[in-house]
Amino acid sequence: MSLFWSLWIMFLVVLNLGITLFLFIWAPRAKIPVQADGTSGHVWAHGVLREGVHKLPMWWVLLSAAMFVVGFAYLALYPGFGAFKGMLGWTSHQQLAEATAANDAKLGELMKRFSLYPIEQLAGDPAAQQLGERLFMDNCAACHGRAAKGNVLVGAPDLTDNDWLYGGDGKAIYTSIHDGRSGVMPPWASLGEDNVNHLVQYVLSLSGSPHDEQAAEAGKPLFATCAACHGPDGKGNQALGAPNLTDHIWLHGGTVADIHKTIHDGQQGHMPAWSPRLTDDQIRVLAAYVYHVSHNGNASD
Amino acid sequence: MAYKHFEAIEKHAALLGVLTAVMVSIGGLAEITPLFMEAHAVKAPAHVKPYDPLRLAGRDIYVREGCYLCHSQMIRALRAETERYGHYSVAEESVYDRPFQWGSKRTGPDLARVGGKYSDQWHEVHMMNPRQVVPQSNMPGYPWLASAKLDASDIQARMRGLRKLGDPYSDADIAGAPAAVEGKTEMDALVAYLQGLGIKNEPTTADGKPANDGGEP
Repeated sequence: MSLFWSLWIMFLVVLNLGITLFLFIWAPRAKIPVQADGTSGHVWAHGVLREGVHKLPMWWVLLSAAMFVVGFAYLALYPGFGAFKGMLGWTSHQQLAEATAANDAKLGELMKRFSLYPIEQLAGDPAAQQLGERLFMDNCAACHGRAAKGNVLVGAPDLTDNDWLYGGDGKAIYTSIHDGRSGVMPPWASLGEDNVNHLVQYVLSLSGSPHDEQAAEAGKPLFATCAACHGPDGKGNQALGAPNLTDHIWLHGGTVADIHKTIHDGQQGHMPAWSPRLTDDQIRVLAAYVYHVSHNGNASD
Repeated sequence: MAYKHFEAIEKHAALLGVLTAVMVSIGGLAEITPLFMEAHAVKAPAHVKPYDPLRLAGRDIYVREGCYLCHSQMIRALRAETERYGHYSVAEESVYDRPFQWGSKRTGPDLARVGGKYSDQWHEVHMMNPRQVVPQSNMPGYPWLASAKLDASDIQARMRGLRKLGDPYSDADIAGAPAAVEGKTEMDALVAYLQGLGIKNEPTTADGKPANDGGEP
């Protein structure tokens, strides 16, 4: 803040306090000429209302005095009087840093205990579950849902079914959260409409879903292309995040129309990396919560 | 000063009004004027860039649709906020926001650092109908954005206008603008805007400390 604006603020503060303090001290002592009827002679509404002359009530005087005391004390202790920083040296950033440090200290003990266990074991700890649930609701529920059941519209997998795109041990879950995941299924529209339809039926047949035998048979040789990622038996590949097609669990929907769209237009699943937003400790707790939910079939919601 | 002066004030409503206004305005003159006059002294840090054309168009849609009525873009220096939303906001991050999108009205969450928190696809589905991804949401859907093509004809005028106000757009930036928004929908622009929020402006230095405490105007 420049000197000019600092002086500007100081001047206005002094002016304001000066005027109000002057009025506060002077006004109760002002001589008010009193008429014979005990009023000031001021009338309203053609004489129906007349103004009496009384002393200020004590509660009003005391309240006003208290406000002056608070005002002066505030200007002395806190920043407000121009560039003067206040005797306490208070800043909002300092206050935040202290609050954060106090919280870290409180959680530190807990996190230290948590760090002793592998994620799989941490998943059984009620305190970790509680913390993890908070983090999950705040950060993960938007895509995976509060109940962690996933959402086919955004390609967010169900986390409660113990079926994993990238692996379901603690380390794999931690990595998925920490670094994020990007699943890419290329579009196969170039195969032609007939072939895409045949492939749809073949993919349905892999999980034993109702399908057209003949079309599925025609699609079978075409699946060689898909096998590169999904494997020759369609069981998927966790190294690539290619889903298992045989288990009746559909990341982007399992109707004929859904599967057609997936093959024809491709799919892109994107799980953001959480390392910029969450600490390693938080990610471990979150991974433990996801592990817990996947092995107990249900989030708490 | 004597009683008759107060009598004059008391008996003339207009005089009373004027003097009341003078006293009340002292607070505003002391608190608002210095910040207002020194706002131009806030300089953008090196990593805060003016909006590229698509994000600029998205920002204008954000303002047009009144997103600011429910969403603030200002994380306060309170632990409850920094835990949830990230580093508190500082003035330098908003130098290219005209008007800035701060505020305290939070019917929905703060968006100052929402960029990258969700996928593009999530934003699209969410904008079509928020309840498809967040069943408890009371945010309205904005499905028309997906079918409304961006009007590429005036993006250059907007950038030239901002350049007059001091945004460092180069001639090449402005020349390339129509191509950058060509064929894009309003949805694309809004998602691009949201995905850039906060990420590119995070006020940190190499050692992870805040670049500025934000306390000095």
